[in-house]
Amino acid sequence: MSFFGPRGSGWQLSTLLLAGLLLFIPLPATAQEKAPTSPITVPNPATDLWRAVRQREGAAAGQTQVRGVETGVLIEQRGEAFREYRRRDFIGNAGIFIGVIAGLVLLFYILRGRINIPGGRSGRRVKRFADFERTLHWFTAIVFIFLALTGLTLLFGRFVVLPVFGAEAFGVIASACKEGHNLFGPLFLVAVVLLFIRFAWRNLPSRGDLTWLAKGGGIVGKAHVSAGFFNAGEKIWFWSVILLGIAVSVSGLVLIFPILGQSREIMQLALMVHGIAAVIFIAGSFGHIYIGTIGTEGSLESMTTGYVDENWAEAHHDRWHAEVMAQPGRSADRSGADTTGTMRTTADKA
Amino acid sequence: MSFTAFVDGPFWYFSATVFLIGVLWRLVGMLSMGSKPDFSTPRKSGTAAAIGINLTRFFPRADFWSRIRLQVVAGYLFHLGLFALLFFAAPHIEFYREYITGFGWTALPEWAFILVSEIAFLGLMLLILHRMLNPVTRAISDRGDYIGSLLIFLVMLTGCLALARSHEVLRVTHFFLAELLLIYFPFSALMHTFTFPFSRGFMGAHYGRRGVNV
Repeated sequence: MSFFGPRGSGWQLSTLLLAGLLLFIPLPATAQEKAPTSPITVPNPATDLWRAVRQREGAAAGQTQVRGVETGVLIEQRGEAFREYRRRDFIGNAGIFIGVIAGLVLLFYILRGRINIPGGRSGRRVKRFADFERTLHWFTAIVFIFLALTGLTLLFGRFVVLPVFGAEAFGVIASACKEGHNLFGPLFLVAVVLLFIRFAWRNLPSRGDLTWLAKGGGIVGKAHVSAGFFNAGEKIWFWSVILLGIAVSVSGLVLIFPILGQSREIMQLALMVHGIAAVIFIAGSFGHIYIGTIGTEGSLESMTTGYVDENWAEAHHDRWHAEVMAQPGRSADRSGADTTGTMRTTADKA
Repeated sequence: MSFTAFVDGPFWYFSATVFLIGVLWRLVGMLSMGSKPDFSTPRKSGTAAAIGINLTRFFPRADFWSRIRLQVVAGYLFHLGLFALLFFAAPHIEFYREYITGFGWTALPEWAFILVSEIAFLGLMLLILHRMLNPVTRAISDRGDYIGSLLIFLVMLTGCLALARSHEVLRVTHFFLAELLLIYFPFSALMHTFTFPFSRGFMGAHYGRRGVNV
């Protein structure tokens, strides 16, 4: 019998063709699991879009009608990273630093107590600061305290004010603080410039400053340390005020006026300089305020009345006291119980 | 009635009325007092001296300059800054147009608005501190002087805090304090805003007639 015989050739041919077709039919699922193949890739246009927007590989500006720095960048990854760093690291460390300094000042007060005028008050007064100098000092102090309070509210408000007063009240407080901070900021620069003009020459280094520093201004031991009109500690504070004041003011102006074409890096740098300088400034002011008020008897009145007790002057600024006593007419002034307004001193001549 | 509605409505009309009637009452009262007839032969024109002193008193005498330069400089900074703020700040012009005049005028640009605010604050703070710290000005200042200074400072401060105009409560606080200032104004030394030309003129005429070089 022939394979292609007349009776069986049609059936046999059909079987052969069917078998051949079966080779091209896709395998069922069970068979596919046994022999895995690569998945079909379907490109997602949204993924590409947002990857481009976020620009993980680096900023690439697009096109926009708006003219300005980085206006073509939709999302700046470095800005987000900086914001996270500032919130997570800087604010926490700043809070710890301010708290530690405040604690140290308090500890010093507990251990050392108030430094009284040796021998008590003499009843005779010496003019120390002119009216303009005191006006300038308090102007600077008021602006500084206002800026410090508003600045600290802006820095820590999200963690301190928001949980206490709620979101709506915090929104009002934060808005008010921001506007007030921005408006009073330039006034502080004016104050720093005037302070420099008025007090710089009396804060230049002079003989005895190193000795004063070596003895810690009398903190180490009970021995009296000689000083002129300003001691070395006051001079250091003065120059700190000038330098920190310039740092916070200039960085603040960079932040207030982002229209001057400064880059993101400059703005971030300005924000960090502003924050660090301000935190150091505020912490340093604790020491200044402490020494000038409850820490030393008779100091505050030099800035409220302009006069200090003679014994205070002799104890804390003996060389300046000697200069004042050597002035003509001084002996006559000393005959009275109070020599207010009758002596010409360094402050008057300045 | 909410506090905002009260401040924007009845209290505004009340404070503006007190201010207007109070200022007019005091000016009319002062001018109607007149002066005693002076039968002496005038050595110089009293009118010319009255006008002259009104102009010359804008400048400090050279003899006093070294002692009063702080008050003079701070005084000019404050008064000029406040004048510019009151009449050329965009939010204030908007207020005048809506509540008083019905029309507006050209406002200062934003940067100039900020600048004059700074100038006014600088002047006002220096003046208040000088009043408190200088023994002479402290001795001649009474409670009314401090209340007036403090009210003006608070009005300016709340105005600056409300600059963003993003929160109604800040605007209302500013407006409320401004209304308190309007009520206080006629009864205080702040009346010098309107009386200074008359007081200068009276003194100029009085001494000018006698040939005193004022």
